[in-house]
Amino acid sequence: MAVREAEPVGSLQEVQDAGLDREDLLGIYRNLLITRGIEERGHILYKQGKIPGSFYTGRGNEASAVGVATAMGADDVGCPLQRDMGVHVTHGVEPWRIFAQYMGRAGGPTQGRDGNVHIGDAKLGLHAMVSHLPAMLPVAVGMALAFRIREERRVAIAWCGEGAANRGDAHEGMNFAGVRQLPVVFVIDNNQWTYSTPTHLEYAAEHLADRAAGYGFEGVVVDGTDVLAVYREAKRAIEKARAGGGPTLVESVTLRMEGHAVHDDASYVPKEMFEEWSRRDPIDRFRTWLLDNAALRPDEEDELTSGVKRLLNDALQRADESPLPDPSDLLDGVFAEPEALDTPHHK
Amino acid sequence: MAEKTYLQAISDGLRQEMRRDQRVFVMGEDVGAYGGAFKVTLGFQEEFGPWRVLDMPLSETAIVGGATGAALMGLRPVAEMQFADFVSCAWDHLVTVAAKQHYRAGTPIPIVVRLPSGGGFSGGPFHSQNPESSFAHIPGLKIVCPATPEDAKGLLVSAIEDPNPVLFFEHKHLYRRIKGEVPDGRYTIPFGQARTHRAGDDITVVTWGAMVYTAEEAAEQLDAEGVSVEILDLRTLIPWDRTAVLDSVRRTSKVLVLHEDTRTGGFGAEIVATIAEEAFEHLDAPVKRIAAPDSPVPFSPTLEQAFIPQVDGVVAGLRDLAAY
Amino acid sequence: MSATGTQIEVVMPQMGVSVSEGTVTKWLKQPGEAIAMDEPLLEISTDKVDTEIPSPGEGIVAQILVPEGETVEVGTVLAVIAPAGLEAVAAPAVEAPAPAAAAPVAETPAPAGQTAAPAASGSEPQSAPPAAAAPALSAPGQIGNGRTFVSPVVARIAAEHGVDPGAVPGTGTGGRVTKKDILAYIEAGPRAAPAEIQRTPPPVVAPSAETPVPAVLTPPAPAPVAAAAAPAAAARPAATQPAVELGPGEVEEPMTAMRRGVMEHMRRSLDTSAHVSSAIEVDMSRIVAARERLKPEYQASYGVNPTYLAFIARATVETLKDYPWINAEIRGEQIVTRAFVNLGIAVALEEGKGLIVPVIKNAQDMNLLGTARAIADLAQRARTKKLLPDDVQGGTFTITNPGGYGTFHGTPIISQPQVGILGTYALVKRPWVIQDELGQDVIAIRPIMNITLTYDHRLVDGALSGGFLRDLRERLEGWDDSSS
Repeated sequence: MAVREAEPVGSLQEVQDAGLDREDLLGIYRNLLITRGIEERGHILYKQGKIPGSFYTGRGNEASAVGVATAMGADDVGCPLQRDMGVHVTHGVEPWRIFAQYMGRAGGPTQGRDGNVHIGDAKLGLHAMVSHLPAMLPVAVGMALAFRIREERRVAIAWCGEGAANRGDAHEGMNFAGVRQLPVVFVIDNNQWTYSTPTHLEYAAEHLADRAAGYGFEGVVVDGTDVLAVYREAKRAIEKARAGGGPTLVESVTLRMEGHAVHDDASYVPKEMFEEWSRRDPIDRFRTWLLDNAALRPDEEDELTSGVKRLLNDALQRADESPLPDPSDLLDGVFAEPEALDTPHHK
Repeated sequence: MAEKTYLQAISDGLRQEMRRDQRVFVMGEDVGAYGGAFKVTLGFQEEFGPWRVLDMPLSETAIVGGATGAALMGLRPVAEMQFADFVSCAWDHLVTVAAKQHYRAGTPIPIVVRLPSGGGFSGGPFHSQNPESSFAHIPGLKIVCPATPEDAKGLLVSAIEDPNPVLFFEHKHLYRRIKGEVPDGRYTIPFGQARTHRAGDDITVVTWGAMVYTAEEAAEQLDAEGVSVEILDLRTLIPWDRTAVLDSVRRTSKVLVLHEDTRTGGFGAEIVATIAEEAFEHLDAPVKRIAAPDSPVPFSPTLEQAFIPQVDGVVAGLRDLAAY
Repeated sequence: MSATGTQIEVVMPQMGVSVSEGTVTKWLKQPGEAIAMDEPLLEISTDKVDTEIPSPGEGIVAQILVPEGETVEVGTVLAVIAPAGLEAVAAPAVEAPAPAAAAPVAETPAPAGQTAAPAASGSEPQSAPPAAAAPALSAPGQIGNGRTFVSPVVARIAAEHGVDPGAVPGTGTGGRVTKKDILAYIEAGPRAAPAEIQRTPPPVVAPSAETPVPAVLTPPAPAPVAAAAAPAAAARPAATQPAVELGPGEVEEPMTAMRRGVMEHMRRSLDTSAHVSSAIEVDMSRIVAARERLKPEYQASYGVNPTYLAFIARATVETLKDYPWINAEIRGEQIVTRAFVNLGIAVALEEGKGLIVPVIKNAQDMNLLGTARAIADLAQRARTKKLLPDDVQGGTFTITNPGGYGTFHGTPIISQPQVGILGTYALVKRPWVIQDELGQDVIAIRPIMNITLTYDHRLVDGALSGGFLRDLRERLEGWDDSSS
């Protein structure tokens, strides 16, 4: 199977044929704005000393994250990574809890036990990432295995960066998924820089999607700044998996528009790359598309942007006023009690 | 009740649980068509089908990581490492994801990883280890080491029930050598509860796994010499039965900690430290530790016998303690 | 980041996990200038990155504490912003501190350094284990004299029983005394031990025969007791009572043997010992609480009441360990001390028939529960006249408890040949001065008990008795969950 390069999305009609109406599109735009708003706000908080530890964002990856997340079904699950804040936002994680997580508060999804973007609300089908990337990739494959065993029409999404894709976990997970044709979609966020390492020092294949053939399934490369193209490819891959067609490897190409983390100014990235890719800013790009193809009105836009601003200000205030974790709880939860399992064992 | 080998008890326990609970399934290398390298799952694939007895690729991370993912989705996987030694390939997943997931994300990981461990048959450095202590050090993992057929079955059922990742070390040198009475029905054995393998007054031996039998032979000899040796089989290392150990130490005031794993940093060190901290005023002799020396497990029989603690060595140690 | 009431502090952020300091490269605002929320306030440089710092607040820049070019630790306060509305006050104040800013600036990094350093040094001792390896316990024989090495358990048992390990034959390596050795030794004859120490082997029974305790005079049923009493009675002139002259309205009745015994003993006791009494008031709140806590369990599991007397008896026995002279006896010109406490508990017999003092043998080996049970058992047997001679002999110290009548003080008479007797009195709720959590005096209502020690000043001085009472009080006032 040759690698296919996805084409951009055209008209509103084409989009509606793919299952998205105008409401959905405005919803996508809103999620993009919230994602960027959270991360921009986070940067400021970090520099104000309000966020401990380190701070990672995914500027430039918003469309890739939101696009895939929008294509997921209600019962699908996934393991997003640090550039995929858009996935959490699209799945409905409240912004105040994301700020609380950043600030290590007790009200964050990990209750202060883990930091930054290591979040995942299991009730929303998202499972928190780990620093040893891509440790959660074989786990996502295991989730797909459960669906296959139980013959459920659900899909697991495994995110991976273009650097993490080179570690054994990725290989073992993908191979196993291919062998058993499990309902999992592998999304590689290829933002072209693994910290300071450019792709030609990171892998030798022309496209990472080329590897899919080695695992026995299809690969596709898509422009990660085009949220609708990402949506279309993700949807195709997810529905194929759901129907029993096995895995797909979707390589979503963007540029990481900031440093690896907030303490990295990315001075190793050639200025021209930044200039070129900032012209392809995913949010600007979609806004233009909405204006050209969906008749986005100024009042609609104002309402959206001011609504997002209010949402985030309120969220930040709420998080700021929420308590830090109590040290006496430190050892709670190292081990789970049987009550933590959601179904009785003997059923 | 019936007399079964240690291996049969494990196999029966696993089969019973798979019949009882649809969510329990087995994944490992050669566990399906071949019935497992040690034949623990012989006949399982015929009974339960290829999607509940999965022949996995040679891929420990896919096996253990996959188990974690399936457990997150509500299944109860029992993963098998073909030899305990290979768990080092999945060490990262176990300590990075499985051990920490509940603590930081609130989602329990009810997986069991079965690990044929131990030496004594010239398995060499990569088929003979007892890699329990590095995992015992990582909070969030439970460690189980049964010595008898009855305990093996009951502890396996408890392991499957437990909502936490459980590393189940089956000593492969006991598989067919040890027989015992095993109840036919379903039963569980709680973790953190030692079993008094032999009651005694003069010396306490704390041990687990195959070393229980080595200790027993040594205790018989000491008995003939008028020294009464008590043997505590810990059965589980995380959690371990501190109360039973400390109570016994308070009675006998002399302790020998015995394990087949290597000495430095072996789990025995944790037990000895605890005794020194909490039973100092009850000690009538320094705490003694007998373990394998700090080397890889050697292959040639003469070397391996010098490596694995033998009955003679334990007898000598017990005599030293008795005379002190 | 903190807003101390009205002011907002701007701190050096941590730009990356391993970064510990930053340099102020450029102030974009000066004191007195207005600044908006999130507006860039200054530029910094760190190992990893140069960046702008957005203002955490809105108002007027009140103070700049770290000048351009200075490198400070993460967390150092760089500037202070006065929120809008205060600028009228802040502005003039700003000029004055500004020239002085040089001084605070020099100091500011230091506190940060100081707070950072102790954290670092504080963690070091924890992470660096004591370098000395655990001393290898050489086999006793290697020390040269096996009898000088005592293992922890032997040391503990020896201490608990007041046995000198050097007196015990050892069968361990090099002649070491093993746990078995010392346990066997203790079982074989605890009486032998005090004999060794005294170097005279008088049976313990003998002193009682010579100087009978009034308690010896139980009702006639137990023959040996009567026999023991007989010599005492016989020591008196034969019971010929001189004729008594009676005036109008006077009636005579004969004394019982017990009454005569008490009469004799009380007089003799006062003639023998130099009686002095000291008193101390004890705040029994904790005992009251402990008793409430333990009562249900003791009743349910043991059928016994944890009485105040049981607590006091327990605490007394513990305290006596530190005051062997108060548990001693004068024989001739020798002071005889013991490793054991045989605690006499005075029991009043019914209908004023007299006083009996059964003895809890080896009370030092009992915890609170044991003490409570022993007291309950002896009291019951005393009332039902089931005491045996051994139960009323050999006491080394006595507690008497007249407080049941409500009396708050007394001066009991010492039971010979002992040298001390503790009196406990009514537990009364009194207004009491205590210190609150700020160390200030407040009045609380506390259950207070007066306790007296009557002691023989031939042996025991005021300082010793004072120390004893003080320590006893400490034990009672400090009773907690770990006490037993």
